[in-house]
Amino acid sequence: MDKNVPLTEALFYILLSVRRPNHGYGIIQEVEKLTNGRLIMGPGTLYGAIQTMTAKGWIRIYSAEKDSRKKKEYLITDLGRSVFAEECRRLKELLGNAELMDTGSCM
Amino acid sequence: MTKFKLLFNKDEETVWINDLAAQGWAMRSFFGGFYSFERCQPGEYIYQIDFADKFGHLSRDYRDFMEEMGVEIVCQWGFWVILRRPAQEGPFELYTDVESTMEHYRKIRTMFKVVTAFEIICFFVQMTAVFNGSVGILPAALIILALILVLMREISRINSILDELGQRQGQPAEDVGWRRRKPSLLLPVGMFLNAIALLISNIEIPGYDTVKHVLQVSAIVLMVVGIYRTAHRL
Repeated sequence: MDKNVPLTEALFYILLSVRRPNHGYGIIQEVEKLTNGRLIMGPGTLYGAIQTMTAKGWIRIYSAEKDSRKKKEYLITDLGRSVFAEECRRLKELLGNAELMDTGSCM
Repeated sequence: MTKFKLLFNKDEETVWINDLAAQGWAMRSFFGGFYSFERCQPGEYIYQIDFADKFGHLSRDYRDFMEEMGVEIVCQWGFWVILRRPAQEGPFELYTDVESTMEHYRKIRTMFKVVTAFEIICFFVQMTAVFNGSVGILPAALIILALILVLMREISRINSILDELGQRQGQPAEDVGWRRRKPSLLLPVGMFLNAIALLISNIEIPGYDTVKHVLQVSAIVLMVVGIYRTAHRL
């Protein structure tokens, strides 16, 4: 496993979007919704990310229906969940320390 | 409608194809520099160029994925994939974050480096033949050298892009030495002219001698200026 390499925003949100089975276009829509329109993922970015994470075993293909192969759905794996949890710990640590900045603008 | 254009710069190519699409010409196919276009509504499509993992082949995954995204695969040439999507479906950008954009450019750069290495070997093989007496190969060798320089220009352009993107992520730029140095375009042009001069020297038509000399002098001037400009750039 990668040693404490921070997850990129794209990977973080994709993992989140496949906590329940979701297909490509659905992932893009969910990420857009979750970030209030800030992150609109391009097909190239998403395709590459899906390939990488499938290869690493963080997500897997969830084929509910064999014949509707056009809407291939993905689902997070246990490994993906643990990577995600690890990242959440890192982010909590980050935000926790952010409070040290006296402007108080972080919270 | 068919147009001919030789481009190594995929970003410039994307702009060109989209400009034509905005004028109502949608690109349909490509073969060795020949682009064919068909009429469409002005601005009906947005085009992007992707770089595949395999030469001349697109996986089932990729095809299904693009189809689901409403992206049409127009054609493929080697690793290059021309994609388009109707403009009414919104803006069309392939890579929307720094990491994936860098990965995209790295793949392209690797391909160019491999091709350049191969061309350099070809050049040395030809020059060996030239020094062994086959002077007739010299024009071809010069053309290959011109090609190598054009490829090096594109590689250095990509290096600049990667450096800039990397800096956005806090990576310091690597030593600004020869990585980003862009050979002047005058060099390959000069070599090309020289090659032509050598080729036509076999034609015995009065007056061609002057043409040949003019070409050779221009070629030498261009190459010298090109070397100077390359060395003093950045």
